[in-house]
Amino acid sequence: MTVRNIEGVAPVAAPLREPMREKLARWVFALPLAFMLLFFALPMALTFVFSVFERTMFWMEPGFTLFSYENFFFSARLENFLSSMYYSGIAVIVCFVLGFPIAVFLRKSVPQVAQHRVVLLFILPFMVSEIIRVFALRPVLQRNGLVNTTLQNLGLIDEPITALLYTHTGVIIGEVMSFLPFIIFSGFLAMEAVPKYIFEVCDDLGAGPVRRFLDVILPLAAPGIFAGCTFIFVNGLGVALLPNILGGAGAVNAGLIATQAIAALDFPLAMAVSAIMMTTLMALLYIGHRLFDLTKILSPIN
Amino acid sequence: MNALGTLKMTETKPAAVEVRGLAKHYGSVVALKDVNLSIAAGEYFVLLGPSGGGKTTLLRTIGGFHRPTHGQVLLNGVDVGHLPPDKRTTSMVFQSYALFPHMTVLQNVGYGLKIARMGRDAIREKSAAALEMVGLTGFADRKPHELSGGQQQRVQLARAMVLNRDILLLDEPLAALDAQLRKDMCLELKHLQEKVGITFIHVTHNQEEAMTVADRIALIADGELVEHGRARDVYRAPHRAFTASFVGENNILRGTIREVDGDDVTVDVAGHPVRTGRRGLAVARGAAVTLSIRSELVRMGGPGEALHSLPGRYSESVYLGLTTSHIVALAPGTDMVSRVVEDLPQVPEPGAPVVMSWSPGDLRLHVD
Repeated sequence: MTVRNIEGVAPVAAPLREPMREKLARWVFALPLAFMLLFFALPMALTFVFSVFERTMFWMEPGFTLFSYENFFFSARLENFLSSMYYSGIAVIVCFVLGFPIAVFLRKSVPQVAQHRVVLLFILPFMVSEIIRVFALRPVLQRNGLVNTTLQNLGLIDEPITALLYTHTGVIIGEVMSFLPFIIFSGFLAMEAVPKYIFEVCDDLGAGPVRRFLDVILPLAAPGIFAGCTFIFVNGLGVALLPNILGGAGAVNAGLIATQAIAALDFPLAMAVSAIMMTTLMALLYIGHRLFDLTKILSPIN
Repeated sequence: MNALGTLKMTETKPAAVEVRGLAKHYGSVVALKDVNLSIAAGEYFVLLGPSGGGKTTLLRTIGGFHRPTHGQVLLNGVDVGHLPPDKRTTSMVFQSYALFPHMTVLQNVGYGLKIARMGRDAIREKSAAALEMVGLTGFADRKPHELSGGQQQRVQLARAMVLNRDILLLDEPLAALDAQLRKDMCLELKHLQEKVGITFIHVTHNQEEAMTVADRIALIADGELVEHGRARDVYRAPHRAFTASFVGENNILRGTIREVDGDDVTVDVAGHPVRTGRRGLAVARGAAVTLSIRSELVRMGGPGEALHSLPGRYSESVYLGLTTSHIVALAPGTDMVSRVVEDLPQVPEPGAPVVMSWSPGDLRLHVD
């Protein structure tokens, strides 16, 4: 057949190739489904299944017990989980306040041809391993670190600020540093739903920056903003690395609680924490979808 | 600036818009150069010209969306150079369907009033009245994407007019509409302007649209104000060759002056002399000039009067529905068109010798 194709005698090959292509097309469409089943639905289901298993000395055995959930809900873990939601929320707000204006600026003031290149700049930090980036914060934030010595040398403070590291503040700083680009990306995409002419209409009608943001940009960009915020929130909740390196007593998140449970060889508990985390995320996504119709993110201008 | 470019102060009221020595540069690109223009209150004024000629730049500078490189914009006699768009007595209808996609029609129209902190009931009432004016009663609760292009532009009109500013700027408002709708909307715009009596300044590249709506037309090309005047005058008696080439269907002929005798000028076109009026232009023997004549004033066939006709060879006819254009080659590369409504009893064979003739006074001289 290959030879025939090269010779250009297609008519014989054509009827054969068509069903092949059709078959392939079917498979191509099945591929994402298979992927999602294998890497998303299955692990999630297993998380819930394992979370009700019985704990053994080094592993777990099939069974049904809610002991892990009891262990979670009636201990300091719940409190830590809730406070990590709270501080994740703060990180989301800080990221939004710092990052979204950058996204608006990119869309509004940077020439179209340069926009994607500028966005690319924000990907550069990801070229460095996250562990290294987060670790590098320690000498910056610690007691005699860069921030404190600078402030002391400038005479702005007498005593070093110790709240910057091994605290919730430290974790939030780390989260903002790690996740800021995500709000810029999603904000950039979200702003595609805000046509450029809108700004001129606002100029003509006299809508100031606040009105413009609340009345026009926010409602139009809401799906994208929500997606970006959820992403940051979930990572703030789940990425154990940040509180592990920058946090301290009480400054943990759900991810670290689960990791610690694994370290203590309590796999059902780790699974239960993960299950609770995922349920929280799914609930959030559901609420967001009902409010903003998240499918709009992928078809902004319609 | 020559005598044609300067304004004719025929208005009694103070000019709604006066532009003095306005220029706009983008780096080395000159979008507007030294434009002087006066637009009377209550006038329907059209800025007509080819794309990229600077007419939109002029409109947007009047509206406050661009800062001029130099020159002044006066609205109702007040210099507004430092004012942002919302502080000016202008409001804008944009070229694209520039509506807020997430608001209903009524909310779109009322948004400007909401910003002006008007009461909820007053907003509703005024917006509804504005919608009625543009014929969109009953569409108040629709979203923009549920409207046709023409309807969206009407919403923009209502949104601009509800602000009660006395100059309405329209930036190619009908450009995106199909031909029939454009015609209808033209008339509607004209009637609307007559009804509300405020000044309309309308940018377009479409001469038919301009002729339909305009009291006066200004031609703008290459950043310059080429010519302005009443729509009828610009069409019938263009001063500049560019105007003749852009408005109407003019034959543009190039020639050299053979003889100047008082008000009569004899010009050689394709080797034959034709006579035209001097129109007070400074001309000298041997100078290269341009002549124009509207194609509907040119007759084909018959013995032409000497100096008011040119011989040529028939090349082809183009049927345009109402009119038919007969194209005759005077010389290689020089065509002349005669546009007639009626069918000719006998159409010449291609290549047959014919004579193109006109009435004395129809041929116009231009010195550019």
